[in-house]
Amino acid sequence: MRIDGYAPIEDYAVIGDGRTMALVARDGAIDWLCLPNLDSPSAFGAILDSTRGGSFTLQPALPFQSTRRYLPRTNVLETTFTTEQGSVRVVDAMTLPNDRLDPMRELVRSIEGLSGRVAMRWRCSPRFGYGREVPRCEWRYGVPVAVSGGEAIGVLNWDAGTPAWRDAGIEAEIEVAAGGRALLAVTSAYAEPLIFPGRRDVLTRLETTIDFWQSWSRAHAYEGPWADLVRRSALVLKLMIFAPSGASVAAPTTSLPEEIGGQRNWDYRFCWIRDANFMIDALLQLGCHEEARSLFWWFMQATARTVPRLHVLYRLDGGIGPAEREIDLSGYRGSRPVRVGNGAVEQTQLDIYGALFETAWLYSEGHHPLDSDTGAVLARIADHVCDVWRQPDSGIWEVRNGPFQFTHSKVMCWVALDRARRLADRGEMPASRAARWRHEAAAIRAFVEEHCWSDELRSYTRIAGGRDVDASLLMLSIIEYDDVRGERIRGTVDAVVRLLRHDDVVYRYHADDGVPGGEGCFLNCSFWLVSALARGGRLDEATALMTQLAARANDVGLFAEEIDPHDGAFLGNFPQALVHLALIDAAIAISKGRPS
Amino acid sequence: MIASALAGGVIGTLALATIIKAAAEAGVTRLDVALLLGTAVTDNRRKARALGYIFHFVLGIAFAEAYAGFFAIVGHSSWRLGALLGVLHALFTATVLVSVLLPVVHPRMATADTAANDITLIEPPGFLMLNYGRSTFLVMLAAHIVYGALVGLIVHL
Repeated sequence: MRIDGYAPIEDYAVIGDGRTMALVARDGAIDWLCLPNLDSPSAFGAILDSTRGGSFTLQPALPFQSTRRYLPRTNVLETTFTTEQGSVRVVDAMTLPNDRLDPMRELVRSIEGLSGRVAMRWRCSPRFGYGREVPRCEWRYGVPVAVSGGEAIGVLNWDAGTPAWRDAGIEAEIEVAAGGRALLAVTSAYAEPLIFPGRRDVLTRLETTIDFWQSWSRAHAYEGPWADLVRRSALVLKLMIFAPSGASVAAPTTSLPEEIGGQRNWDYRFCWIRDANFMIDALLQLGCHEEARSLFWWFMQATARTVPRLHVLYRLDGGIGPAEREIDLSGYRGSRPVRVGNGAVEQTQLDIYGALFETAWLYSEGHHPLDSDTGAVLARIADHVCDVWRQPDSGIWEVRNGPFQFTHSKVMCWVALDRARRLADRGEMPASRAARWRHEAAAIRAFVEEHCWSDELRSYTRIAGGRDVDASLLMLSIIEYDDVRGERIRGTVDAVVRLLRHDDVVYRYHADDGVPGGEGCFLNCSFWLVSALARGGRLDEATALMTQLAARANDVGLFAEEIDPHDGAFLGNFPQALVHLALIDAAIAISKGRPS
Repeated sequence: MIASALAGGVIGTLALATIIKAAAEAGVTRLDVALLLGTAVTDNRRKARALGYIFHFVLGIAFAEAYAGFFAIVGHSSWRLGALLGVLHALFTATVLVSVLLPVVHPRMATADTAANDITLIEPPGFLMLNYGRSTFLVMLAAHIVYGALVGLIVHL
């Protein structure tokens, strides 16, 4: 049920082609699609402004109910609409190119009557440039084309009615009988002429797209517990890898709010160093070696421009992220501002150095030894960590009232130097500086143990000398900072449970972070708790919590960044890579049934 | 003069292609000369772009030789005269060569006689190539003036 024109975030499913992604609502509306790439301005942006954003609706003309699923082991979505007059199935996909004269991007909507006769209506109303630009509506020999500047969309239809332009949208109505078929294809172009495919080519691409996803899934089989969710997570993560560069996006959306009506609305269409770390870990665990190799080299290439200093996030092409700005959209259910770009790019976040070295270590552990040039670059970064670890920073949560001496950041600096030492021991980094790295790692540990532990809480603290906890401390268990069954790690996990857990989900902290308003519980933190419990040998607790969290997925197995603990509504950008990465880690941690 | 025209053709086409590509990336036009030319002989995108660039340079050299012939006939060459020829060249290209002749000979371009049924077609340029953006002709005009001026200048040297 839509509220003020906005579908609940959990009502969306996602389709994509490795270059961009579309959000498809349960009622058949495509309310988010950036063209030509994930980080381009939106052409369909109704999820951020239901009146001006643009969308592609396709639904029965009568009241209906709908059920959805992905075609088995694919990123192709199937929605079945049921009405009093009959039922209709719609298959939505972004097709993959086949090295012929393919459209630059192609969104296919295949309609099939299952029973009765169902009146359907569709309307494609693109609004380029985040809703700023109402397109010119033209025809090219029978094909409706929407044009604005260097962008264009063509809407091809076969047996899907007689389309007509109305209010800068192309629309039509059809009646679909049982066994009847119709086909819609949206082709887009940027800086080149549009391509108008024939029906046979569209259907062939749809079939090869389904085949590709199924064969990819077969090649990366996971048969452990929660296999369906892990497989779905792997498939959605594959969508979030920007194929032209190998970078992974944190989420395909911007400014889906952390609180309805709130200001915590951020653009996640960038590659965060720390997410890439989790991503490579998951890719290697799932046997996706090609994707891991591609991401690692993107990682090294992007960071090479700024070595030894790293940026928090990078554009998908490896460039430094654009400055954050606000755009004139009304926001999801009035949640303003809507932002593009991300201000975190200008922050200092020391934990990313640990993420980089953990990535290099995992990559090396995955039978991909580092070459000497890479080792030399990493050595410069490790030396830099020795110089800067004492500085305060904005931390993993990118607080805007810092900097502070975050415990998690210190520990991740320890991770950086610990992994550097290990790589040096293995001969993949210069051994001549290993003594300094070892010495500074010991100094960091001494600092953490002396200043970041609270006897009162029986836990490590959020910041040095602080009196509260933070869910990021669960990472201490995951990255093997200390004995995962030891008193201090166990005490910290218990403190997170005691102070931050609400039912089965976990708040990240209760401290002021410099941004007005509240937020939901962070699902990645909830899955980190599962991982920490499993690694700590508390398998029963981990399994019970994982079972509860698994039930929080939407009907097609996807998660947003956060969840409202009171009503279960999704909040924040969707789907979020970090949550699905944490889910995979949690499932694997339980399946291993032992500390890693 | 033949050699200097060849050099002028290469340099002029390089400048022309760069201007059009820059305009496309700036969102001013969707004109993609390499894709248009290359898809006349192959339906493979990558091959089409590569072949299209080669065709474009061959055509650029051929036109530069024609410019040189004109300079020889009138007994004068200069960047100004080249730029003037560039204006005529742009008009010819936008109204006849690409808008009329190319769709006729291009096996994968939609015309008034075809509809997008079962074969993949490329969007036709339309009159003055305005289908690719309202400023496309101005981009073409500017690019061809630069091309003509460079050919005229190099032939004159």
